[in-house]
Amino acid sequence: MAILSTPRSQVDLVGKGRPLREHLFRIALLSSLAIALIFLALLLAYTLTEGWPRLDSRLWENFPSVRRPETAGVLSGITGTLWIIGLTALMALPTGVLAAIYLEEYADNTRWYNRLIELNIANLAAVPSIVYGILGLGIIARWLDFGFTVMTGAVTISLLVLPIVIISAREAIRAVPPSIREGSLALGATQWQTIYRQVLPASIPGIATGSILALSRAIGEAAPFLMLGAATLVRFNPDGVWSSFTVLPLQIYNLISQSREEFHILAAAAIVVLLAILLLMNSLAIWLRNRYQKRW
Amino acid sequence: MTQPNVTLRGPDVPNTPGSLDPVFTVEDLSVFYGDYEAVRNVDMMIGRREITAMIGPSGCGKSTVLRCFNRMNDLIPGAHIKGKILYHEEDLYGDHVDPIEVRRRIGMVFQKPNPFPKPIYDNVAYGPRVNGIKKNMDSIVEEALQKAALWDEVKDKLKQNALSLSGGQQQRLCIARAIAVKPEVILMDEPCSALDPIATTKIEDLMQELRQEYTILIVTHNMQQAARVSDRTAFFTADVDDAGVRHGRLVEFDQTTRIFTKPSDKRTEDYITGRFG
Repeated sequence: MAILSTPRSQVDLVGKGRPLREHLFRIALLSSLAIALIFLALLLAYTLTEGWPRLDSRLWENFPSVRRPETAGVLSGITGTLWIIGLTALMALPTGVLAAIYLEEYADNTRWYNRLIELNIANLAAVPSIVYGILGLGIIARWLDFGFTVMTGAVTISLLVLPIVIISAREAIRAVPPSIREGSLALGATQWQTIYRQVLPASIPGIATGSILALSRAIGEAAPFLMLGAATLVRFNPDGVWSSFTVLPLQIYNLISQSREEFHILAAAAIVVLLAILLLMNSLAIWLRNRYQKRW
Repeated sequence: MTQPNVTLRGPDVPNTPGSLDPVFTVEDLSVFYGDYEAVRNVDMMIGRREITAMIGPSGCGKSTVLRCFNRMNDLIPGAHIKGKILYHEEDLYGDHVDPIEVRRRIGMVFQKPNPFPKPIYDNVAYGPRVNGIKKNMDSIVEEALQKAALWDEVKDKLKQNALSLSGGQQQRLCIARAIAVKPEVILMDEPCSALDPIATTKIEDLMQELRQEYTILIVTHNMQQAARVSDRTAFFTADVDDAGVRHGRLVEFDQTTRIFTKPSDKRTEDYITGRFG
């Protein structure tokens, strides 16, 4: 029976061994990943051990103090950060999403001005945060006379995250297949109906994920607040948008600058709190992404 | 007269194209994308409650022409037309014409089934809802699904996501979705090209049902399909002009029986006998 044209003895499917380069390349990839992960782990471990003695309720129940490290806390930093982020979300998210809708759904990108806008949004996302601090100080705090308040901080941070929100919202909107828009328009839906009833619901998981990540970046910002001259020794929680405030990164910065060792431990503990807030927000983003992921 | 071994429809269709009852009259239509003239000088008539097939090789502009009938080409920046499409003597591209109104009367089914990622019920109810209809939604949905021959398969799972349906069911859902708006015309852009033969047969049978009430235009790559389902056929092809630019052109428009038995143009004959395209 000659089914195979090649004699059986000549069929040889045993691998010759992959070239060494294939393996080396894999190892190079893995070690790059390992560097990132190992340093993150080290950082976490270091901060955690460093801050462990003060990682208790004193931290989030007390206001800062320069005299008594044993009862000093960062309560006003935590509440200030939450105020700033909450207000930023209220201002930056709707604005960013609407701008993204304009750019994706309405703007005719064969026009030069629309391309100019697009280019500049990408540039804005790359502007260092301290520049936004200068802008906030010069225009919002002084010229608009908002002073050194929660409002000034939130507006400044909103401007900082806005380009990132716009970019990530655009990606999410672009991921909705054009066939969905065509299907809707072909049924006599207007453009706004199509966006409101089809495009937005389908892109909300992506928009939410991107927005949360943008906000978590903002949480860690200290530079713009330094420029804004936000106080560090705030012994009260903000009671409104016109209240003065401080934020966690600034408190941490201030604690580290103290000479007494106890404050350094306190700083490490505050970093753990900041990281916990960040991790919480990022997990929310991942959860949202997985929960509402679309299959087309 | 010797017939080829395909089933041809339409003994009731009058013999001359001029004697049809026109829903659309296309006069010297050219379609442009920017400066590029994609389709040139098309003249044809679409008869009421007939199925008109548009066939031809890829890139001949048949889909482009189809999308002029519900002004879907408006969505492409730079797209515009010359010439006229009359819809019941109304110029579809007249100044006062609202494309949204046009699309409410002239429905469309796409090449790839594109149900919304929503429950089956909401897919069908979407058209009526965006058109401001709120009452009797249940009966509108049921009627549309009945007409699209999908009701029996989905009546117990109206709340399920439409994407859980099979490809053929999804396409019938898209037809139901179009019907729910109560259009007069349904445009179909290669509706079966993503479907298996059984699903294709179902859609073709459905088209024969729908023909009782609706005017249907179908673009198809499948000549047998055009021969099976349509009353009239328009054959398009692409010419290359002196500058080396391709332009789509309507070569021949006639009753399907004639196109497939004694076409008057050599190019049509070559195409349908498989010598080209």
